[in-house]
Amino acid sequence: MTAELERIRGEFLAALAAAAGDAAAVEAVRVRFAGRRSGLLRQLEDTLKSLPKEEKPAFGKALNELKRFVEEQLASAQAEAERRTAAREAVDVTLPGRRPPAGALHPVTLVRREVEEIFLRMGYSVADGPEIEDDWHNFEALNIPPDHPARDDQDTFYLPGRLLLRTHTSPVQIRTMERQRPPIRVIIPGRVFRRDSDLRHSPMFHQVEGLVVDEGITFAHLKATLEAFIRVLFDPRLSVRLRPGFFPFTEPSAEVDITCILCLGKGCPLCSGSGWIEILGAGMVDPRVFAACGVDSSRYTGFAFGCGLDRVALLKYGLPDLRLLFSGDERLLRQFEGVRR
Amino acid sequence: MKFSLAWLRRHLAGDCSADRLAARLTAVGFNVELREPCGDDEVWDVEVTTNRPDAMNHRGLAREAAAAGCGTLVPLAVSLVEGAERAHALARVTVEDSVGCPRYCARVVRGVRVGPSPAWLAGFLERCGIRSVNNVVDATNYVLLDVGQPLHAFDLSRLAGAEIRVRRARPGDRLTTLDGVVRELHGDDVLICDARGPVAIAGVMGGADTEIRATTTDVLIESATFDPLAVRRTVRRLGLKTEASHRFERGADRAMARTAVDLVAALIVQVAGGEVAAGVMDSAPTLPPGRTIAMSLARLSAFAGCEIPADFAIRVLTDLGLEPRREGDAVTCRVPSHRVDLELPEDLYEEVLRHFGYDAVPPVLPPARGGPGERLGSWPVTDRARDALMAVGAAEAITFAFVPAEWDAALASSPLAGRGAAVTIENPLSARLALLRRSLLGGLADAAAANLRRGGSRVRLGEVGRVFFTNEGGPREEERLALVLAGTTGAWDESRPVDFFDLKGLLEGVLGGLGVVGATWQPAYAGVLAPGEGAAVVRDGQVIAVAGRLADDAAALFDPPAALWVAELDLAAAGPATTPVFQPLPRFPAVVADLTVRHPLALTWEELVAALRAAAPEWLVEVAPVVRYRGEGVGSDEVKTTLRLTYRHSERSLTQDEVNAAHFALMEALAGKLPVSFT
Repeated sequence: MTAELERIRGEFLAALAAAAGDAAAVEAVRVRFAGRRSGLLRQLEDTLKSLPKEEKPAFGKALNELKRFVEEQLASAQAEAERRTAAREAVDVTLPGRRPPAGALHPVTLVRREVEEIFLRMGYSVADGPEIEDDWHNFEALNIPPDHPARDDQDTFYLPGRLLLRTHTSPVQIRTMERQRPPIRVIIPGRVFRRDSDLRHSPMFHQVEGLVVDEGITFAHLKATLEAFIRVLFDPRLSVRLRPGFFPFTEPSAEVDITCILCLGKGCPLCSGSGWIEILGAGMVDPRVFAACGVDSSRYTGFAFGCGLDRVALLKYGLPDLRLLFSGDERLLRQFEGVRR
Repeated sequence: MKFSLAWLRRHLAGDCSADRLAARLTAVGFNVELREPCGDDEVWDVEVTTNRPDAMNHRGLAREAAAAGCGTLVPLAVSLVEGAERAHALARVTVEDSVGCPRYCARVVRGVRVGPSPAWLAGFLERCGIRSVNNVVDATNYVLLDVGQPLHAFDLSRLAGAEIRVRRARPGDRLTTLDGVVRELHGDDVLICDARGPVAIAGVMGGADTEIRATTTDVLIESATFDPLAVRRTVRRLGLKTEASHRFERGADRAMARTAVDLVAALIVQVAGGEVAAGVMDSAPTLPPGRTIAMSLARLSAFAGCEIPADFAIRVLTDLGLEPRREGDAVTCRVPSHRVDLELPEDLYEEVLRHFGYDAVPPVLPPARGGPGERLGSWPVTDRARDALMAVGAAEAITFAFVPAEWDAALASSPLAGRGAAVTIENPLSARLALLRRSLLGGLADAAAANLRRGGSRVRLGEVGRVFFTNEGGPREEERLALVLAGTTGAWDESRPVDFFDLKGLLEGVLGGLGVVGATWQPAYAGVLAPGEGAAVVRDGQVIAVAGRLADDAAALFDPPAALWVAELDLAAAGPATTPVFQPLPRFPAVVADLTVRHPLALTWEELVAALRAAAPEWLVEVAPVVRYRGEGVGSDEVKTTLRLTYRHSERSLTQDEVNAAHFALMEALAGKLPVSFT
């Protein structure tokens, strides 16, 4: 009789192997062998009852071993089948998530805020002023009288009523000094307009301007301030180089170069091999400008500086073309998604 | 401006390498931008700033080089041999307008042979970008580039009455200039005339009739100074710029007018033969005394922020020809006639500092003063507006402040755009940039349409910027925010076209971020928005924003391949930045009950909620829409709205019986007041 048990054991193993981990097939095997009503093992229990007394212990022991074996095998086959089912139904975790749309600040806004933060930390306020200006604030008070050749450098959009679109942020220097007594520490970011349009010029662009007026302000203060600014904005390894220049509203005036941010001075196409890029204009406030604003130039000195924010954005982010900034092209703008300042 | 290195060296003694010369000139403010080898010579492109007309010539630049330690300036040698004939007998010069022409010097050279210039002369001129004409004209141009004095040579035989008169233009004066153009002259113009009429426009260009030609034998040379303002006005009016006018506009050297006439007469004889008549006609032989400027050496160092040695300062001022006289701390300089830019002590500080070297000044940060800085003016609100745009997922665009007239016209019916007339630009770059914008929507709609045409499918752009109006009080600027939405929204597997409520949600987010409270949404039928798909946001009876689908005729201007949903907000409506104040958290559980109401389409959500709240106990804390249904079983002018009502008492737990009673009372009250049913 135990030979019969061996045969059933073999049959069971073959059936389980044929079920191959499929949940339904494993269940069919369970019903056939271990079903409570008519499973083969149940039938063998009936057989046991009908055996002569002396054969019962040996057959009973073998039958119990077979039952335990079948139960263990079924349990592990069922677990395997469940695992396979779960694997088949699993989410594809590599599909993209449903991301809420992210906003993007304009690159000029990003650099403006970065510049503002640097100067706010140094105790400067951030001022603004009108984009439609009068001749006094845009030119005359800045020591650019009518018919001055310097007006050629700033082709101006004129408006009715002897008004104009400001050609630089400098008129806000005048408005600040007209309103406030020294000490003055202010930066003025803003939109400006010049009648000029080509690859490198846009009729609308952005500047940031700085003004410091106090007793004992020196040229050395100007240099250190620009150095601190440039190193935080771009790279702490950069140097600042001042060359004599000319602006009607500063005396002396300086063109300010910084170490090329790409090659760090080794020479590359960005800096035309010179290792330097021109980025700012600066100088000591001309006493004529103080006089126009009612500031006592025998008591106070001051410095001013300015640079193009668009150009800073081009340099900082490696953008190729100024005009791209004002195209509203989301392929560009969305590259700045989630960048905060 | 172009310079020849060999020519510069003619004015400099000592051997200074070309590299050092270029480096020193750049360091003291004359940026050598480009160096090009040209045979034995080098052509340099040097940036000479507009305040330094005295350095717009080889001798002037050499003077700066000498002061910068690149040798010494060679004294100017004039070797002029005069003939027996007297110039005054051959021609007469009268200056009637000594304001327009402070000095007029003239010489006569007779018996010249006009022909090609020698190679050295033509070569120098051509390297500096001036075309060789003939030996006499080339001689005048050479002296111009050599010492900076603009000169003009007349054919004496063609000057009527052998006479020069300098006067302002009179009505009817006209002249055909050297370039063959007939110029109508104007009362501000200073003219050079002969006995008949104009022969040259002073400081700008000579006339064709009296120019030097192959047959010319007798030459009258003009070497004068003219009023910079008069020259500038003439140049601007005629749109005619020349080498001469460029210098006269910036200020010419009155002393050099006399020296240059000798230099050029000698050079003409050298290259074209002839004889110089004896004597110079000079309208103002006595120079006015030069300005003096006093400065303090101590203030110079204080201004620089480091010690500038007195000896160094004196040496530089001397080399620049400023004749400094020192008495203790005080230094008095005499300004030579070629330095038109020097007036104040600060001008002298600059002279010393740029030769001291800006790089030699050690950087020192200014001491801290005053309190922390702050953002002033409109910056706080415009930056909050940008952050609000970012928070609702918009990409910030910056578009031009100028717009074409048709954009302005199409958007003018928006209540926000109609706050005044548009400001016109008198000299626009093009018709597309002729008006200042009264609305941000044009630029943004244009950008959105371009993005869609490029294949963008989820356009979500925003802008913060100014708009401009004009009325009796003059022009006014207002800060605005605008949004444009187009294409689809939702994630990749639940994407759908955007509609009004996407736009409204964005604008609500922005309004929340800007602390705008108490605003209501009303249907708007302004022409700028499509009928039935637009809203005005109103607060205190004033429209603060518009939102909706851009009307078809306005949209057509931008050629968008899909509908554009736009919104614009007046940032004056923004509230102050506020600090959130903690509200106690609810202590008792809420009971939620849904209510489906069938009602006419004309009954708005706002009206429905107002009626509910009026009838409800105070512990109805929230009413929210769940779903709207139109279709089978609902009349064509009806809708079924399911609302979710949240009941919560602040001081005790509510019982289900209590809520049920309130809920049914509410339904009864609603049915009594509004045309609604609950089936």
